[in-house]
This record gives sequence, C-alpha cells and structure tokens, in this order.
Amino acid sequence: MIDFKNVTKIYGGEVKAVDDITMSVNEGEFVILLGPSGCGKTTLLRMVNQLETITDGEINVNGQNVKEMDKIKMRRNIGYVIQSNGLFPNMTIEKNTMIVPDLLGWDRKKKRDRFNYLMDLIGLNPDEYRKRYPHELSGGQQQRIGVARAMASDPPVMLMDEPFGALDPIIREKVQDEFLTIQKEVKKTILFVSHDIDEAVKMGDKISLLRQGQIMQYASPTEMLHRPKNDFVSEFIGKDRVLRSMSLYTVNDLVEALGLKSKEEDIQDTKEITIDTSLRVALSMLLNKEADELLITDDQGEAHGSLTFDLIETFINREVRGA
Amino acid sequence: MIDFFNYVQNDWDNIFAYTMEHLQLVSLAIVIAILIGVPLGIYLTTNKYLAETVLQVASIILTIPSIALFGIMIPILSIINQGIGFLPALIALVLYSQLPIIRNTYTAIQNVDPNIRDAAKGIGMTTFQRLTRVEIPNGMPLIMAGIRTATVLNIGIGAIAAFIGSGGLGVLINSGISRGNSNMVLAGAVFVSLLALVADFILKFIQKRVTSPGVK
Amino acid sequence: MMNSKKIIAYIVRITLWALVIAFFWWAISENMFDKIFNEPETFKGLLTAHIQLTVISAGLAILTSLPLGILITRPWFRKSEWLIVNIANLGQTIPSLAVLALAMSFLGIGMPTAIVALYVYSLLPVLQNTIAGLDSVQPEMKDAAKGMGMTPLQILFRVELPNASSSILAGIRTAVVLNIGTAALAYLIGGGGLGVWIFTGIQLYDNQTLISGAIPVTLLAVLVDFIFRGLQYVLVPKGNRLATKAVTD
Repeated sequence: MIDFKNVTKIYGGEVKAVDDITMSVNEGEFVILLGPSGCGKTTLLRMVNQLETITDGEINVNGQNVKEMDKIKMRRNIGYVIQSNGLFPNMTIEKNTMIVPDLLGWDRKKKRDRFNYLMDLIGLNPDEYRKRYPHELSGGQQQRIGVARAMASDPPVMLMDEPFGALDPIIREKVQDEFLTIQKEVKKTILFVSHDIDEAVKMGDKISLLRQGQIMQYASPTEMLHRPKNDFVSEFIGKDRVLRSMSLYTVNDLVEALGLKSKEEDIQDTKEITIDTSLRVALSMLLNKEADELLITDDQGEAHGSLTFDLIETFINREVRGA
Repeated sequence: MIDFFNYVQNDWDNIFAYTMEHLQLVSLAIVIAILIGVPLGIYLTTNKYLAETVLQVASIILTIPSIALFGIMIPILSIINQGIGFLPALIALVLYSQLPIIRNTYTAIQNVDPNIRDAAKGIGMTTFQRLTRVEIPNGMPLIMAGIRTATVLNIGIGAIAAFIGSGGLGVLINSGISRGNSNMVLAGAVFVSLLALVADFILKFIQKRVTSPGVK
Repeated sequence: MMNSKKIIAYIVRITLWALVIAFFWWAISENMFDKIFNEPETFKGLLTAHIQLTVISAGLAILTSLPLGILITRPWFRKSEWLIVNIANLGQTIPSLAVLALAMSFLGIGMPTAIVALYVYSLLPVLQNTIAGLDSVQPEMKDAAKGMGMTPLQILFRVELPNASSSILAGIRTAVVLNIGTAALAYLIGGGGLGVWIFTGIQLYDNQTLISGAIPVTLLAVLVDFIFRGLQYVLVPKGNRLATKAVTD
C-alpha cells in the first residue's frame, strides 16, 4: 500500500535526515516508525503526504508515485493526525471533524451521518459535542476528535505523528486501547510515529526502528524484542526486553505452546487467572506472592491447569530465545 | 532642504530650549504617573473588581482625543485660574499615562508563575519581600514596556499641549503654522519625532539593563 | 472580605459617574453647549467633515494594510517580515501632530492633505495587528490544515483569518479611534472638522465654542470605541473567545 524506494531527504544540501530508506507497508497494516528524536521518523512520515519534499527516491501509495499526484487531492484522501491535535479553535467540533468532507463537497445529510457514526466510534455522544468548541474539551477528548477528523472521509491510509504524545500516561493508555479497538473495526493502513517503545510494542503490527535516517530493524514487535538485529536495537528496546515481551503473550499462548493439560489435584493456596490475561500480568501476580500457582480458567469457567514460574521460564526458553 | 538646515542652524538655541522644555514636561508627568500607576497596578492585583473598574476607566480616558481633553480641562481649571499653561498639560499627560502603566504593572504581577509565587511563600517570604524580590523583578520587562509606551505617547501629546500654552516643541509647529513658516513647522515635526524615537530607544536599552538576564 | 472589595469597586465606580454627571450638569448650567443649538447647521457641517475625514482615511488604511499584512505573512515574503514589523513599530512612535505637520510641509493645506496624513497615521496599527494576528496562528494548526488537503486560500480564509480576527479587529478599532482624535487636529492644516471649534475656543477664550467642539469629539471617540468592541465580540468566532478565556483564566 505504501512503498518507500531508496527514499532520501537532505536539508540545506548537507544534513541527511532520511538516508536511503526502502520499506513497504501492506494494506491494513499498522506500522510504527520508532526512534529517538532527530532520527528522521517524522520527516519520513511527512514525505508521504508531501508536507516535505522528497530529495531522492520515490514513495508510492497504492501503486502511484506521490510526486506525480495532485498534492491537495492526495492529502484529502490520506488521514493526518498530529501531536497537538491541530483542531481549529474557531470551528465547532462538528465543523472540525467534517472539514475534509466539507472540502470534498459532501452534502449536509451525508456529513451529519458520518459525524454521528464517527462520534459513536470514538465513544463520544454526537449531540452533546456537535456544537461545542475545542477549548471546552479535555486533552484526551480533543485527541480523539483529532483521530475522528482524520478518518472523516474514510481514507484508506492514515498518517499519525505521535498522536498521543501530549497526553498524560493514564489517558494515553485509554486512548491507545480505544484506538486499537477502532482499528480492528476499520482496518486502515497506518503509519504511526512514536518515540515510546512500549507504545510501539503495544500498537504496531510491525515496527521500523530508525536511527540517523536509516532503518536499524523493520520487524514485528515479537521479532524485534526476541531477535534484535544489532546493538542499537537491543539498547533501544532496553535490558528489560524479556519482561516487555511478556505483554505480547496471553496465558492462552502459553497453554497452547506447552500443551498444558488440566490436572486433577488438590488445589490449595491458588488464585484464578483468566486465559486471556497477558503473561506480564500473570508474572507480576506470581512475583507479588499472591499465590504460588495460578489456576487458569477460560470464559466458561473451566480449568486449564495451573501456571507457575517454572512454566513461564520454559515458555520463555522455547518462544523467546527461539530454542 | 538647504533652507531647512539653515533654519535649524540659525535657530538652534531656540530649538534646544523648546526640546528641554518638552522633556521637562514629559519627564515630570512620567515620574508622577509612575508614582501613581505602579503602586495602583500592584494594589489592583489584590482586588479584581476594582481592577476591572480602574482599567475600564483608564482605557476610556485613553480614547479621549488629547486636544478635546485639553479643551474640557480649560473651563474646569479656569475656576482656579489655571485654564491654560503647564498644569493642565501635566494633568492630561499623567492621565494618559495611566492605562499603559497600570495595565502593564497589573498584568506583570498577575502573570508571575503561580509556582514561583508558591515557592516564595514556601521558603517563608513576607508579602512585601515576595513583591520586591520575586514579583516585581519577574514582571520588570512588562512594567518597563508600559512606562516606555507611556513616555512615547506623552512626547506626542506634549506637542499638542503647546496649543494650550505649555511650551515645548509644539510651539514651533504652532507658530510656524500661524506665521506660514514651513521650515519652522518641519523643524518642530522632525525634532518631536526624533525625541520620541530616541526616548523609545533609550528606554528599550534601560528595559534590557534593569531586567535580570534570567528573565527571558 | 469579598464583599468589602466589591464595595470599594462600587464606590469608585459611583464616584466617577458622579463626577461625569456633575461636569455635564455644570457645563449645561453654564450654557456651554449653546453653540451646538444656536448654530445647528455649522455643527452638522463640522461633524460631517469630521466623520468624513475619519471614515475615508481609516477605510483606505484598512484596504491597504489588511492585504499588505496578509501578503507579508506569506512564506515567500517571510524574510522581509521583520523589517516591515520594525518599520511599523518605529513609525508608530512618530507623534500624530508631527505627521500632520510633515504632510503640510510637503502637500500644503486643505482637506486632502489631512486625509493623506490621517491615512498614513492609521496604516501602521492595522498592519501591525494584522501581522501579529496572522503570526499568532499556531504552526501546528496550519500544518494540520495543509496535511488535510486545504489549498493555501482555504487555509487563509478558513483557518488563519478567523483565528487572527480578534487581533485584526483590535487594530482597526485602535486606528479608527486614533483617527477621530487626530482628525480634531486637522483644523491646523485647514482640514476642517470639529477641531475648528476647539481651536477657535482656545484662541478666543470662548468656553462655549470650546466645549461645543470638545465634548462631541470625545463622545464620538468613546462611542466608536464601544461600538467596535461590540463588533469585535460579534465577529470573533465563539471558539476563539473561549480559547482566549481559557488562556487568561
């Protein structure tokens, strides 16, 4: 869907912000551009919708070279969300959200229906917020409106530049979860800039880790956490990467991987844990000495055996170290 | 042009005397205006209702055309036989200076970061210490900017005051017009403009000097 | 505590109103406005000339400064912007009387000269506020607008101008109110207007003529200022008012 071919960006004739990048993003994929500040991730993103010119190489969206497309038309067909949401204070929430449909000349009814649909999608009451202004909303709400605005004309591709970066941690978690739920429904092709490894691991189907304008590794979060390609990658994802990777698995993954069977035994000093809990939570419950063993149960309340430190260690050895 | 320079050369003593007269009027007015406006601006931060009233009144005064204000004061001050001359000019200049000085002082103190104020309270400063060591120094750029605006404004209005007999560079414009001496008019205009520009420049310089390097 | 503060504010307010009323009562009892009623035609003529001076000069100034301010803030003029802003700042320190006198030195006397002088004098506040207003629009907002596919003109009219409207209107208000006052000086260069009565009154020690000129000019300035503030309230988008409030609260 988005193909970068030997893309290079040079500022002022000498500074290489983006250095010969080749990668592709498939349709419906959620790709994170991750890296420290100044690594060129935002520049790379902004070259897709031509907010930055491309010095060398080419970018194709849906098989079409962006350089050859009409900038204005192309941008209207690509969702764009930025960190400080960029909502227009002079417009109501409805006007803000419907700005692209407005530019595209949709009729009133179609716009209203779309607004109602989007507001339901992001979990805000359309009638309550329709006539309100950005400054009457909280930061989290504003950012959600920013996302809704980007999706207004139902563009297949969305570019998001640290959209949740300005939110405080608790709100950010919440908005991230909501957005993942939305993404499951709408299946957009998303390019998402972040500097936060946790966010990247949580949100992305794939992560492209950049440094000084070059790709250090382009892989799925699991792959990157388990098999970092070089020292920079392993340093960036941190020494606690094993622990971090635990949030990628649920208890169910372990049950299936190790073929855990339900055993009839005396159950004493245990706590129950549902099968879709993340392994990270399970591990922390064990560490917390809440119980020596955790009784795994599924939706129907059926037991699937018990979880112990040993089992997690076995799982890590098998899955993570790729033994 | 040559005519003009000749005129300036020949009449230099007069021009200099008028400039000094002009400066006297403006400086006295500014000093009085600061003595009233800065404390008032500070006091207003403790009473927002009064602040609203005072700032409104000051802004209405500033919209009154200067020549009209002089005109209105003539019959009033005639009661004490001071209808024209230095006193009405001084009063008018002090009045016009109030809005920039009060408003900027008020805003400057009001805008001091609440965290800084809190820290000052926390380390046991009294209200007065807080004012002189924290709030005024931090608000200095804005307070000085208000004084600068007021000064430049006053130099211009001071020229108009010549028509009610307060002297200064406006006299050159006034008598130049009535005598049909365009060099004289031009000299008045040029020197009053120069005075305003120089005052603006010097006060900007002072503003930089009295502002702690730590404050922007 | 709260109440005593409110009471002080009310006392000050009432005292000031009382002073204004006392002044008018005194002026009326001294027959100071008689000239207006004795010579209504002359008064009408002076008032009309005064308004003409102001409207024509301020109107032309707005028509020049607004497009100029928009032009200067476009990317291809960015580099010269600081120069223009500095000239505008510097130009505004030049006193109004000096501008009139300079105009007279070069153009002679008469109403056209007065209009030119007033026009030049009101260019700068409008220009300065237009530039400041457009510059205050956050770059992120423009970036978002661009990224969504707005054309430069759409960005200007839908995003930049509405968000700069408060500042631009304030500049226009300043210019018009200043012009009403400066137009009172137009008499000096033969431009007519209510200044005729003010200056004649001063020269002849005739309080009637003086007050009959000075009070209408004052009321005109205060009234126009008031109207423009109202206009500002109506024309500035509601969201921006809320935004300003959120910042100042």
